[in-house]
Amino acid sequence: MPLNPAFDAALLGRYDRPGPRYTSYPTAPQFSMDFDERALREAVRESNGDPIPRLLSIYVHVPFCQSPCFFCGCNRIITRDPYRADVYLARLHREIALSAAMFDRDREVVQLHFGGGTPNFLSTTQLRDVVDALRRQFRFSSRSDNDVSIELDPRWMSPDDVRALADIGFNRASLGVQDFDPAVQAAVNRHQSAEETLGIIDACRRYGLRSINVDLIYGLPKQSRAGFAATLEKVIAARPDRLAVYSYAHLPDLFKPQQRIDAADLPSPELKLALLQLAIDELGAAGYTYIGMDHFALPDDDLALAQARGSLHRNFMGYTTHADTDLVGLGVSAISHIGASFSQNPRDLSTWQAAIDEGHLPVVRGVRLSEDDQLRGDLIQQLMCQGEIPVSALERRYAIAFGDYFRDALVRLRPLIDDGLVRVDEDRIVATSQGRLLLRNIAMCFDRYLDRPGIPLKFSRAI
Amino acid sequence: MSRPVFPRMDARTVADDGDTLHFCSTCAFSQACLSEGMDKQELLDLHVLVEHVGPLHANDHVFRKGDPFDAIAAVRAGTVKTYVVDREGHERVLGFHLPGEVIGLDAIDGNAYPCNAIALDIVTLCRFSFPRMAELAARAPGLQQHLFRLLSRDIGAAMRMAGDWSADQRMAAFLLGLSQRLATRGFSARRFQLTMARTDIGNYLRLAPETVSRVLKRFQDDGLIVIDRREVDLTDVGRLQALAAPILQN
Repeated sequence: MPLNPAFDAALLGRYDRPGPRYTSYPTAPQFSMDFDERALREAVRESNGDPIPRLLSIYVHVPFCQSPCFFCGCNRIITRDPYRADVYLARLHREIALSAAMFDRDREVVQLHFGGGTPNFLSTTQLRDVVDALRRQFRFSSRSDNDVSIELDPRWMSPDDVRALADIGFNRASLGVQDFDPAVQAAVNRHQSAEETLGIIDACRRYGLRSINVDLIYGLPKQSRAGFAATLEKVIAARPDRLAVYSYAHLPDLFKPQQRIDAADLPSPELKLALLQLAIDELGAAGYTYIGMDHFALPDDDLALAQARGSLHRNFMGYTTHADTDLVGLGVSAISHIGASFSQNPRDLSTWQAAIDEGHLPVVRGVRLSEDDQLRGDLIQQLMCQGEIPVSALERRYAIAFGDYFRDALVRLRPLIDDGLVRVDEDRIVATSQGRLLLRNIAMCFDRYLDRPGIPLKFSRAI
Repeated sequence: MSRPVFPRMDARTVADDGDTLHFCSTCAFSQACLSEGMDKQELLDLHVLVEHVGPLHANDHVFRKGDPFDAIAAVRAGTVKTYVVDREGHERVLGFHLPGEVIGLDAIDGNAYPCNAIALDIVTLCRFSFPRMAELAARAPGLQQHLFRLLSRDIGAAMRMAGDWSADQRMAAFLLGLSQRLATRGFSARRFQLTMARTDIGNYLRLAPETVSRVLKRFQDDGLIVIDRREVDLTDVGRLQALAAPILQN
């Protein structure tokens, strides 16, 4: 895989159209209400029966935020009432018990991630209780490469909290920054000084966290080249191990908080591309490697090393070094990926709570993967992680003739080949340095469900 | 083109369904009958009812212990597990039956099935009514021999595993056994899916489920096999054979 993506603004502009992010395939719009608790239990039972059952990853969703960021498209609840957390945690602990009981005891957990919302809405004592409960009821691996990670909002914590988190066992943290430019912060209702952010990064280092990630967003209202350049400079100086540079997707009909953003303040498509180019150039110059999609890492970070070895993976929590695990999602709106299935908890708190109060696993929708789904999912995963489609390996694994099986997809791929985004070699299809920023567009050629009218409109744009 | 990976099917492994006059291509008895000079029409005339059953789905029972014995059945597609439940309520797996293999033979002595038979995936079967078939066998020595051969093969497989073998030896013999049986039905001998859960494998081999996984992981680390989910690829048959030799020669 070439190290860094090439930047061609005209080309990127042309391919900037809505499409899925492929954190799963099939994507969430294909999940159906027919997939119920029984189907989930059956999927777990089946996964327990594998000759060598997969390792486990656990995702815990904490939906609460103290204050609304206007750009947010996540499932979250704005409150400053700590009692809400107590009510939520009572159910979460019951869900942990219901879920853990399904898995065979020898299935080890190698990855635990807290996302949100704002996981540090919970006190460190509450977080410790949740981690302890998980450790008691699941079997955590003692491997040295275990990930225990948490998304942090630096505005609502002190460096001392980091000490407590490290003590609980957290070894990775991901900090939301977005942009330090005060004009942008005012426009998105997120006031966060560089000082408090850098203070938390320092504390993460001091207390021995193995890896720190920083999230930035380009395409926010009031964003400027100069402002974003200053943000990049400050962030690069702090030398986080990983960086995510997300594209802001303005979809106010889909995400209510975004209605408070004045569309007139949004950067033009040209400026938005210029901000992306700035980020790619600055991060490249600072020695960061492009991992794929929105992600960069220092060359000695586990992700970059895994990519070089060809052992990089991707799931709902992003890129990971752990080979295909079964993912157990806990909490409101959380998604699970167990055996040949995806499933999701209710997106609203009351439905999730009611299910648990009645003693049920709170799953509301999902999908059982056909063999075709698994093949296409595997292909897209390889593309997103390694920047190429291993044609002959897929032919062997799925007993197909690639050219026949993907005839339609290859026709859709032709214009992308002509535009130099992909190169077709004898035994693989490779994203060129031009195509590496457009992996979604390449993947879309292989998405069987996109042929259906109406679906693509729900997705954010590619850039 | 390589052979299909069990239980995926293609023209070489799917039974052509035959008709009133012709046997299905996978029929476990056709050869025995034909060598006795009896074709399907003659069997029908003798009221040996041949009936296609299924598809059954995972966890559907083919028959249960104690059900009146009225037929033996040949598996046409999928995997059937036979098992009994002991006095303490523990399940005991007796065997796994693949396409072309016959279940219900152990009921021949009595009036009721002595075990349970359950589908592990999508299963289709062919039922041969008994005791009409027994009458027929008495008149046709070739068919009788064939039945005895099937019966002893069935018992032999279970007996071989019952010895004092190590976990590695049992597992190697199990994998090679499946490989050989699937190969005779036209499936790939090297790659196939383990359609049974690891608890069933463990139960059959008298190993804890965790031990099943540990042994397979060790085989994988040593380069004997590669496992992806349910699919196993025997990458070093020679070393597996060396491991299993004491059991297979027994």
